[in-house]
Amino acid sequence: MSELEKDVIQNEDTSNAAVENENVEIAQSTNPVGSTENLVQGVMHEQDIKTVAKKQTVGKILGQIGLYVFLTIMAFVVIFPFIWMIATSLKSVDEYYDASLELVLFPSFARDFKNYAEVFTTTDLEMYFLNTVIIGIASTLMSLVITILSAFALARLEFKGKNILFAGLLATMMIPGELFTITNYKTVADFGWTNQFGSMGWINSFFNLTMPFLVSVFYIYLLKQNFMQIPEELYLAAKVDGTTDFKYLLRVMIPLALPTLISITILKMMGAWNTYMWPKLTTTNSDYYLITIGLREAFSSVDNQQPDIPLQMAAVTMVSIPLFLVFLFLRKYIMKGVSRSGIKG
Amino acid sequence: MKNENITEDSLVEQNAEPVLENQLPAEESIAPTAATKTVRRSFLDKVKFDSWKAWIYLLPALILLAVFTVWPIINTIRVAFLNDYNSLGEQGGETFQLGIGNFITILASGDDFRTALTNTLLICVITVPLSTILALLIAVALNSIKPLQKIYQTIFFLPYVTNSIAIGMVFAAVFDVVGDFAFPDLVQSWGFVNNILMKMGLDPVNWIDGLGDASYWPKMFVLIVYIIWNALPFKILILLGGLQSINKQYYEAAMIDSTPRWRVFTKITVPLLSPMLAYVLITGFIGGFKEYSSIIGIFGDDMAGGQLYTMVGFIYDALPDAQYGEASAAALILFAIIFVVTMINLWVSKKTTHY
Amino acid sequence: MKKSTKLLASLAATLLVAGSVLPMAACSEETVSGITTENIPVTAYNGEKVTISFYHCMGSALKDILKDGIADFNKLYPNIKVLTNSFGDYPGVRDQISTEIASGRAPSLAYCYPDHVALYNKSKTVLPLDSWIESTLEVKQANNTTALMGMTQAEVDNYVPVYWNEGKIYDEAKTMYTLPMLKSTELLYYNKTYFDANSLTVPTTWDEMEATCQRILEIEGAKAGGAAANPCIPLGYDSSANWFITMTEQLGSGYTTSEKGNYFTFNNETNRAFVEEFRGWYQNKYVTTEEIFGSYTSDLFTQVEPSKTKCYMCIGSSAGAGYQCPAVLQDGKTYPFEVGIAMIPQENPESPKIISQGPSICLFKKQNKQEVAAAWLFSKFITSNEKFQAKCSMNNGYTPAIQSIKDNTTYKNFLNRADGNKYLQATAVQATMEMKDYYYVSPAFNGSSAARDEMALLMKHCFQEKPDSGKTVSQMIESFFNDSYKKLQRRYDK
Repeated sequence: MSELEKDVIQNEDTSNAAVENENVEIAQSTNPVGSTENLVQGVMHEQDIKTVAKKQTVGKILGQIGLYVFLTIMAFVVIFPFIWMIATSLKSVDEYYDASLELVLFPSFARDFKNYAEVFTTTDLEMYFLNTVIIGIASTLMSLVITILSAFALARLEFKGKNILFAGLLATMMIPGELFTITNYKTVADFGWTNQFGSMGWINSFFNLTMPFLVSVFYIYLLKQNFMQIPEELYLAAKVDGTTDFKYLLRVMIPLALPTLISITILKMMGAWNTYMWPKLTTTNSDYYLITIGLREAFSSVDNQQPDIPLQMAAVTMVSIPLFLVFLFLRKYIMKGVSRSGIKG
Repeated sequence: MKNENITEDSLVEQNAEPVLENQLPAEESIAPTAATKTVRRSFLDKVKFDSWKAWIYLLPALILLAVFTVWPIINTIRVAFLNDYNSLGEQGGETFQLGIGNFITILASGDDFRTALTNTLLICVITVPLSTILALLIAVALNSIKPLQKIYQTIFFLPYVTNSIAIGMVFAAVFDVVGDFAFPDLVQSWGFVNNILMKMGLDPVNWIDGLGDASYWPKMFVLIVYIIWNALPFKILILLGGLQSINKQYYEAAMIDSTPRWRVFTKITVPLLSPMLAYVLITGFIGGFKEYSSIIGIFGDDMAGGQLYTMVGFIYDALPDAQYGEASAAALILFAIIFVVTMINLWVSKKTTHY
Repeated sequence: MKKSTKLLASLAATLLVAGSVLPMAACSEETVSGITTENIPVTAYNGEKVTISFYHCMGSALKDILKDGIADFNKLYPNIKVLTNSFGDYPGVRDQISTEIASGRAPSLAYCYPDHVALYNKSKTVLPLDSWIESTLEVKQANNTTALMGMTQAEVDNYVPVYWNEGKIYDEAKTMYTLPMLKSTELLYYNKTYFDANSLTVPTTWDEMEATCQRILEIEGAKAGGAAANPCIPLGYDSSANWFITMTEQLGSGYTTSEKGNYFTFNNETNRAFVEEFRGWYQNKYVTTEEIFGSYTSDLFTQVEPSKTKCYMCIGSSAGAGYQCPAVLQDGKTYPFEVGIAMIPQENPESPKIISQGPSICLFKKQNKQEVAAAWLFSKFITSNEKFQAKCSMNNGYTPAIQSIKDNTTYKNFLNRADGNKYLQATAVQATMEMKDYYYVSPAFNGSSAARDEMALLMKHCFQEKPDSGKTVSQMIESFFNDSYKKLQRRYDK
């Protein structure tokens, strides 16, 4: 056991090295820069760099300032709707419809959080929240298992029809998913998953909200590409050692692809968090509403003529915050995951 | 015995037509020599790759795909070729003739089809390159700064975690003019954007509600801004990820050479990033062809009185009347278009992508 | 390491098992049955445990009232479990149900508009109600009394006749498919304080309306600072589609028919003429609509800020009376102005025509006959139970479907309070009840709601667009009418 573990660690090292090497390899095979000689010899001469760097200092500072200005402007444009959303959530309905306050994003009087308090009192937010978390975690876990198994098979195992299968999988991504809705509705209804009352209700609802979305061709594709960057020699070596495929997958591939897996986890969780159409169509028992439906239900109705936009914005802000926190804490992994997933067109 | 033969075949096949994955640098870098290849080859012969094993691994995914993806696709194809198919009528015992009537209905809808096609193409052709360039610039800028880099990164990712329906509402509210644009003295609110325009001494624009041909571009502008804005976070994330995995050595080498910044960008950054760029472009095009909910979100169910009709609009238009035959036919047409465009994209990117 | 192996393996195993076993595991006691196209003969409810489902789009206040109503209903029939499911708006209910029907399911009963029923009926699964109404079968209630499954003539007559007849507009044979639930119409709300101060009379015809609008603009223009300082559009019309349809009804000029292949008859000279006339009104700033102004015209009507655009008259739904009332002043008693309510202007005041709107109830043919029977009892209950109808009406100004409600004490008290702004809903309801003979409904067919939407768009174009050079306004309006007609015809008249 411990032998194998050591092996894995070693393997991990080599594979990391391999990944590092990759870029050099790329450069040599494609010659991206005109002056190849310099590049090939491209060994680091600290001294050279310093001299050149000094010459360029002034320009560099100016350039940096320019970059910051550009980024700040763009950043403002990008988060403006978000700022507007939060600003609006702090206003009252009257203030919102008051044109003279339109350019005032944060009027001095808008400092109480009564809209937020109201969101809590008008909806069963806690229940919806819990439902969403349960569905999100469960579907993510199941989805990960399926994705890992399939990606492994597609990346490492050889079998007849693999290429056709893979091409077929990719082709399904091109059909607008909305069209599946009607047939899928019929399917889940035939399975009885729309019977969401009584003792079996929760389990039917659970399957209804998770099963149709467990397989994502996109994630399989992402992970497969990542798996394929792990040198095949590791696999062959493991085979020589008599390691089974499953153990190899578990001990070598999964740890190496962890950042990608984390990215998938986060994307999947976000999906669960923002999904609306399907749960709305198929959830017959309001006890199993997810957070998006719960919020929509609470704030829209035919006899509420004037929509309370500030209240809705407060609700939406609250829904966004957990996701934002997740991103904040796992940003490092997401970045790594994406950069290592080796998406190759 | 049989298994062996099969694997043998597939291996030969693979060698005959090297597919993308075999060109991956990681593998090449480790096993470049003929000697290793032979070793590997004979080794592969020994390891019995059992076909059935792969299928076991794939089984959960395949079962679910068969039920929730393949079956709906088959059903879509079926009803697309039933003339005037209506799902409610089918329940009521109505029978439908096999034929291509649904396709004819759509293609013969004249103006609607032309508008949908033009709008869809315009959206793709304008938003995809623009958002990619913008994302690339931001990603490069982000990658070239040190202090505050993480904060900026977080900000640029923020839209990604926000509910898209809410953002649609925000866009509509920010651009919308409350009141009758034709009578400025009676306008109640010019909206945030117009207020800023007017502060700058410019004329306000009727972004959302205008009528007639002249109102097309203001509406298109709002839509394009929204789509680009919506697409940025993901693209920045992918491109930044790509940039961070580019070896610093190239830049340092370029610095010694005193290569101008622009040359560094076009000769190092872009080529090395080309796989990511290709990916971003292809998904961008597919997304552009499927654009729909953003239009509904900003301009309402009638898609600005039909002015901003898109291909997916055909699908949705048929749904309230349960005309699934037409919706399915529209989806197949859309699929055909996306397929062709993606193939062209792949072909072009294969020609130009550097590994 | 070992642990994770196990975990992963067990998860994978669960998944596989789940995938294969689940379809069978799913059956629970509280479900409603599938739909059928076969005719359902009248069956007496036998008191057994049965679950029915009711789809609606009530707002939160009405939902609470419905909960109480169900509790009352269960006092009579304790074994009928009523599941309710709310969808954001009417199209939401429609799309949900049409999707369900396509896969062989439907609720037991639902909120509906006439065009929804026309759509559902493509599947031949909407329950014809005639035999149920006429049924003389008896059913036992919990308090050991027996009741009729059907309705007595007195019970039928208790429904406001015009609402009742709305259930029969679906075919030549006048089969009854819906029961009226809650109704509303359009009313003219006017600023009574302003009218009194300027000795204006409430317009009863469109000509008078034009004169009144003109007069109001003169009054405002003569004030200090002129028209610019007192921005005003005399009349706000909430729904331009209603305006168009009501005019065709008042003029008898034709809008739609229920004859397949010849649904759309609105493209005629008379209609183009009135649209052109109203275009003139709009261009003179006499009138605006919700579609044009981009906000509810009730907001303009209740506007009290001097510098802001306001309306002095507003034509809107009687069920929206609450929104036509300006906010009470700080003392909590007085209002900035008093609201008056009148009938909308008419072409011919001798025989007025006003639109009838609001949800009805339709039932579906289900495999479980007891479910249908229970659903029938429930639909009878919510459309004719005085207490329930009264509560709904008092909540938001809907007009009750039954006439006997006027004798209900609670409701009488509510109506009696109808004075001034404080109980504007009551005033509105009272006004609508007096107008019960003037209602009209336009034909319902698959495409009738699309026609409505199209009319709103058509009005907007005709009002706002400028003719190309070398063309007259009439020519432009004619081409818009032709476009709309072609669009609708191509889609629905084939």
